[in-house]
Amino acid sequence: MPRTTLLTTTRIVGAAAATALVLGLSACGSSGSGAGGAAKAGGGFTYWSMWRAEEPQAQVLKAAIADFTTATGIKVDVNWAGRDVSKKIGPAIAANQAPDLWDQANDAIFGATASAGQALDLSPVLAQQVPGENVPVSQVIPAKYFDMLPKDPGGSNHYVIPYEVATTGLYYNAADPDLAAAMPAAPADWAGLLKVCDALKARNKPCFASEGEDPWTNGLYFDYLLNGGGVDVNRLATDKSGAAWDDPAVLAAAQKVEQLVKGGYLIPGYDATKYPAQETNWAGGKAAFLMNGSWVTAEVAKQIPAGWKFGSMLPPGTKAPDATLFGFSIPKKAKHAEAAEKFIAFFLQKKELAGISTSAGNITPREDVPAPAELADAQKALAGATVRLPFDGVAGSWSPKVLDQHFLDLWHGKSTAAQFIAKCKADQVTYWQTQG
Amino acid sequence: MAATLLDKPRTAPVRTPRRRAGGGAGSPLARQQRRMFWPFAAPALLVYGVLFLAPVGYALWTSLYRWDGMGDMQWRGLGNYQVLLKDPSFRTSVGNTLELMFVGGTVTFVISFALTLVLREMKARLFARSVLFFPCLVNGMVFGIAAGFLFSPTGPVNQALHFLGVTTPPKWLSTDNLLPMVLGTLIWTATGYYTSIIMAAVDQIPAYLYEAAELDGANAWQRFRHVTLPCAWDVISVCAVLWTVSSVKIFELILLFGGSSSNYPPVSSWNTALYVYSEAFPQATVPRLGMATAAAIVSLLMVTVATLVLRRLMRRDPIEY
Repeated sequence: MPRTTLLTTTRIVGAAAATALVLGLSACGSSGSGAGGAAKAGGGFTYWSMWRAEEPQAQVLKAAIADFTTATGIKVDVNWAGRDVSKKIGPAIAANQAPDLWDQANDAIFGATASAGQALDLSPVLAQQVPGENVPVSQVIPAKYFDMLPKDPGGSNHYVIPYEVATTGLYYNAADPDLAAAMPAAPADWAGLLKVCDALKARNKPCFASEGEDPWTNGLYFDYLLNGGGVDVNRLATDKSGAAWDDPAVLAAAQKVEQLVKGGYLIPGYDATKYPAQETNWAGGKAAFLMNGSWVTAEVAKQIPAGWKFGSMLPPGTKAPDATLFGFSIPKKAKHAEAAEKFIAFFLQKKELAGISTSAGNITPREDVPAPAELADAQKALAGATVRLPFDGVAGSWSPKVLDQHFLDLWHGKSTAAQFIAKCKADQVTYWQTQG
Repeated sequence: MAATLLDKPRTAPVRTPRRRAGGGAGSPLARQQRRMFWPFAAPALLVYGVLFLAPVGYALWTSLYRWDGMGDMQWRGLGNYQVLLKDPSFRTSVGNTLELMFVGGTVTFVISFALTLVLREMKARLFARSVLFFPCLVNGMVFGIAAGFLFSPTGPVNQALHFLGVTTPPKWLSTDNLLPMVLGTLIWTATGYYTSIIMAAVDQIPAYLYEAAELDGANAWQRFRHVTLPCAWDVISVCAVLWTVSSVKIFELILLFGGSSSNYPPVSSWNTALYVYSEAFPQATVPRLGMATAAAIVSLLMVTVATLVLRRLMRRDPIEY
């Protein structure tokens, strides 16, 4: 799950929801919205949004909803629920109070509804015409975004239609003179990257900023290195015998991570701070690169000095960038699915969707909508033939229970690559014994 | 009347009404009282049953199933509990919960007693008590967030330590120090709270007991040991129960201290509440509510047992003064 700025608050609210759920108090919906079922047939549909009303994406959606109602006469009853919508949707479905449309990240949608067979197959939306453009939706949303998704029990991977795409990579300031001198051209391989780091070191500049406490962004190095070595992380994680960890490519990836740590390429003090201390340091020019998601440009927008020019690249050797989709989904139990489907197609037309780039500062799945300048490199990376999910879509509590802690030990220089692999392998075997 | 009551053995008042209830006899007043028992007790029992017992029962029932919260429930019997026993992260969580309960409790109460010792006899003690109580007013989350600034390598804490001559301070925020940091924050916020409650009890102790002790040559520690502690014992034992119950429910502090916005805190810092959360809201997959409720039930049992044992250990004959 990628980091969006507000997830922390989400978690806390989630805690309350968790308690309520576990105590069984809310089987019939802590949804907090009387909106469910309020829209009359033919007259409109209900939409629970992952955005809160004041967020830029909500503004873009609001404008589109107004246009949609003007164009079709269909009213949209919106609940700007925020990220917690994915925790509310399950109980709402169970209580038959589900909205007709909701949106979230693809992993949240899969986890909350699709994996349980509760999400509608949206293939008919892909066949619909984009209003005013004379092409079907399937032509403007590249198929590769669906290909990377896990299938639901019905065999469909069309349970989410994306309108915003996030990706991860190494972000840097292309206008930084130290970096410009150290990296005349993007490095072609891992050794090339280390050479850039050495050149930076000679100029007294740490190569990578890192929030040492965070296994997700730091784990992306390992994720990308595994991808470069031809290892699918999800396959690695789901091997119940743990034997997949014996693959020499896994060891090679771990050793390269170890190189970054032992080589002193990480910003000093990274293992003794909390987010966002090192991101701030990076924005202040105290390190060259930061491994993060495409949301980082917005996060540091107010901190960077004038003259800063965002660039991004994938760790050399990477075969495919990762992508996280933010998009619409319709519960199977939705009462006005047809109207909701119509809105999805409506929002994907260029003039509506462009706001996601121009107003909300994000990348859209349409390749003919240019990304904001600071994400131009990221959009270029996504334009390749294939994309994949971060950590190849590994799910459940595998990350916290198997990978995270051991990875942080490796990342903090407390264990070697070989020790890291041995520990992960052992914990993975136990993990799968508890997943029956 | 008073004499007869006092002459009776201690158990008599308990046994007498039971015998009467069995026999169906009794004075008109007692009959009246019996008749009024249910009308008066029922509303409270109803609220208790609906808001507490029913959810716990429902959770207990859910814990015997595999359930994602939406689809059908599959019977698993005690399977979820067996998995919990096997899961090393649950064992870690239980260990941490107990550590927070016992280590945190011991330190909190030792400090509270020490403060009581001092506060009883100092000037401006009301002001001092307000100051001590203050951390309790601030939401734990504030500390979780502020810690990143306070304890950063160049933050105020290290600067203060540097001023005192400590040149290599510990890496406060490293993941190894997570649980001790949580524990520290917890103790810091709880101490003022329990000190305030204990002090309120201590204020009720008549001054002549202290004067008498002083005349007998008791020092401050002896006055505390032989006057304050026995006289405030009831309140202290209630505080101990309050602590036990609240320490099991700690959640947001660990989440904010250890979790980044996209991650759970490291398993080494989980308590049972976090374990429940991780099972109820896993990433990119359906909730495992059966496991989550099983873990919640185990932690409920844990707190019940701890409370009962504690009550038993702390039981004393009440002292009247």
